[in-house]
Amino acid sequence: MSLSRRRLFQRLSPVEASSPAEWIAARGREAGLTEFGEQGMAAGARPIRIASNENPLGPGQHVLDAIVGKFPEAHRYPFNAKQTEGALISAIAQKNAAKNENVLLAPGSGELLLHSVRAFASASKPLVTAWPSYETPRDMAKKMGIPVREAALDGKLRIDIAKMVDASKGAGLVFFCNPNNPTATVHGKSAVVDMVKAIRAASPDTVILIDEAYHDYVTDPSYGSMIDVALSTPNVFVTRTFSKAYGMAGLRAGYAIGHAPTVKSIAAFKMPYGLGTLTLGGAIVGYANDAHIVAERKRNTEVRNFTMKAFADMGITGTDSQTNFLFLDIKRPAAGFRDACRAQGVLVGRDFPPYEKTHVRISLGTMDEMKKAVEVFKKVLGSTTTTSSKDKQQ
Amino acid sequence: MSLSRRSFVQTLGVGAAGMWVGARGREGSLFGSEAVFAQGAPSPIILSSNENPLGCHPEVLAGVRGSFAEGGRYNYAAVDEITALLAKKHGVKPENVLIGSGSTQILRTSTHVFTSKTAGLTATIPAYEECADYARLMGNPITGVKLTADLRMDLDAMQQASKGAGLVFFCNPNNPVGTAVTASDTRTYLETLMKQSPSTTVLVDEAYFEYATMPGYETMIPLAVQNPRVIVARTFSKCLGMAGLRMGFAIAHADTIAKLKAWDGTNNVSIMGLMGVKAALQVPDQWVKDEQARNKAARDFTQKWFADRGYTPTDSQTNFMFINIKRPAREFRDACLKEGVLVARDFPPYEKTHARISVGTMDEMKKAVEVFGKVLAQPAKSAA
Repeated sequence: MSLSRRRLFQRLSPVEASSPAEWIAARGREAGLTEFGEQGMAAGARPIRIASNENPLGPGQHVLDAIVGKFPEAHRYPFNAKQTEGALISAIAQKNAAKNENVLLAPGSGELLLHSVRAFASASKPLVTAWPSYETPRDMAKKMGIPVREAALDGKLRIDIAKMVDASKGAGLVFFCNPNNPTATVHGKSAVVDMVKAIRAASPDTVILIDEAYHDYVTDPSYGSMIDVALSTPNVFVTRTFSKAYGMAGLRAGYAIGHAPTVKSIAAFKMPYGLGTLTLGGAIVGYANDAHIVAERKRNTEVRNFTMKAFADMGITGTDSQTNFLFLDIKRPAAGFRDACRAQGVLVGRDFPPYEKTHVRISLGTMDEMKKAVEVFKKVLGSTTTTSSKDKQQ
Repeated sequence: MSLSRRSFVQTLGVGAAGMWVGARGREGSLFGSEAVFAQGAPSPIILSSNENPLGCHPEVLAGVRGSFAEGGRYNYAAVDEITALLAKKHGVKPENVLIGSGSTQILRTSTHVFTSKTAGLTATIPAYEECADYARLMGNPITGVKLTADLRMDLDAMQQASKGAGLVFFCNPNNPVGTAVTASDTRTYLETLMKQSPSTTVLVDEAYFEYATMPGYETMIPLAVQNPRVIVARTFSKCLGMAGLRMGFAIAHADTIAKLKAWDGTNNVSIMGLMGVKAALQVPDQWVKDEQARNKAARDFTQKWFADRGYTPTDSQTNFMFINIKRPAREFRDACLKEGVLVARDFPPYEKTHARISVGTMDEMKKAVEVFGKVLAQPAKSAA
């Protein structure tokens, strides 16, 4: 364990924080349990990190080469570099048959989610979110004292579109994460198009945010991006990230794309020059390389199929994952499973209430990592149900 | 003051987002940078953004390269690691430190947390625009305080105008005028304010700390960690030469840091920036001293050139100069741009008479003064 991690534990252990969920909420999107995770592991062991839905391969060599190419400009603000934000904005606009005014960059899509709540929701205009879904909009709304309407998932752990539409009347912002994190399920394009129509009919002033963070990993043929709809529909926009298939979570880049006036409202909150000169250089080259993303989707699909089958062989079923993570019914609390896996050097996802007593989220590593992880899962699931050590502490 | 962010977006449209940042940004020029670089034009001399023209220490780039293996991972553990290292460097505890995406994020977050409709922002006019722009975006009132005749912060006027403020933006050395006030004057101001105005927080921006050579100038970090109502902002974008890596930080009382952190988190910084900072913290003090001396020599050379010709500079404690060129900055800037030299944006209320010029390398400044000479030899088209 590194010095920093020891310090972290000294400063804010899950016991000291009022609850692990609160601790994680304070840390943001995919803090996962990585930091907790290495506690209690054999010294010097290198864990298999499958807790935060990261791309285990990281940025491609083409991206890293581009970043090195930007080293001579590391001292320049991004707007003084040879390639500014404008170069990436134009590339994104071009690929999506959009105009530059439809695109807004941010250091990760997380910042855009925060800005969306800041821009569109208020004490009198609630946030609507599926639950569980990705937590950032809900956490920010609660922090700001904005009411949150949570729509429970359906029986297949998909977002319940009818419930979302029902909850949307008078809402400031509807957050629709497709595929949904943490349940990995997706809705087909026509269902989402119908949802947007229904919300706009029921509540024309409500803004609809469609988070497509996992877009590049979807293989369900009924799925389609909502970018084209967003471009032509008032109050609708899509967020995307370079943190997943592009393998750039550590580089911090994401974007919003949609109806220009809506994007403009978010832009008012944008942090100036949030994307560094090097990150921009990497993202521009990464964005141009579609073949890399196709290959990454294929790789992930193979690993996903292998891991799903390995669980099925153990009698464990999961949702129909369209992402780089699985949401599995392990028939026991996630915390105990997580602790037991951690002791074997495998870090899996955090609790996702109300499913924390039965389900766990497991990100997909490389094939090699998942082969090793599956052996650990077999061992852990073969033993009797365990209670979380953290539960004992509390 | 400059256009607010909101009105600017309305004017240009988000489509020009890159342009917009370049146009209004902390250190942007009024020219979209792409326009300058397009069509294979030779690289201009960039004297518009107060960057370190020589760049960062090579070990910083080695640190960036060393981060590549973690490029696909979220940064939470690294944020904690670097927070602890920054704390150690400054003799404070990790809970006294908040990392930001440049000091920009610190300035915005402080403005968000500490200003309101009833307790606004107080800042000198001019001052670096970030806090005022954000307060305006939030619809919170802004009180501007004029400088003294020799373009220094007027601490008596600040004292009066700070009463009842939510946040005072105390930029020392001041950007864009380059002047600084001493630590003892700053302490007196703070002590009086703390008594006078029990709910006011002061953000001391020390972006140019490493460049200040004036006797009596000191950091307010020791005071900030003791006083929950004082925040110090620092950046790696200036002397450390890392503007493209977007790294800054705040040091303050633990309770104050907790308030800032609750609003915006630390999710906006890259692993490259974090590992760059880790390496930067190992940069020998001598490297910083050398950069300080290099900057001073190039600054002295350029300021003397102006002074010799009757154009008065301020007492700059930074890597930029604020010069009375006796004509509108815009006219001067446009003419310099045609000759391949970029100087900074307008800084009202001095935009009719003064230009801010960053300090490049000595070679660049020798070339730049040739251009300045040519431009200033032309009669001013509009009245100063």
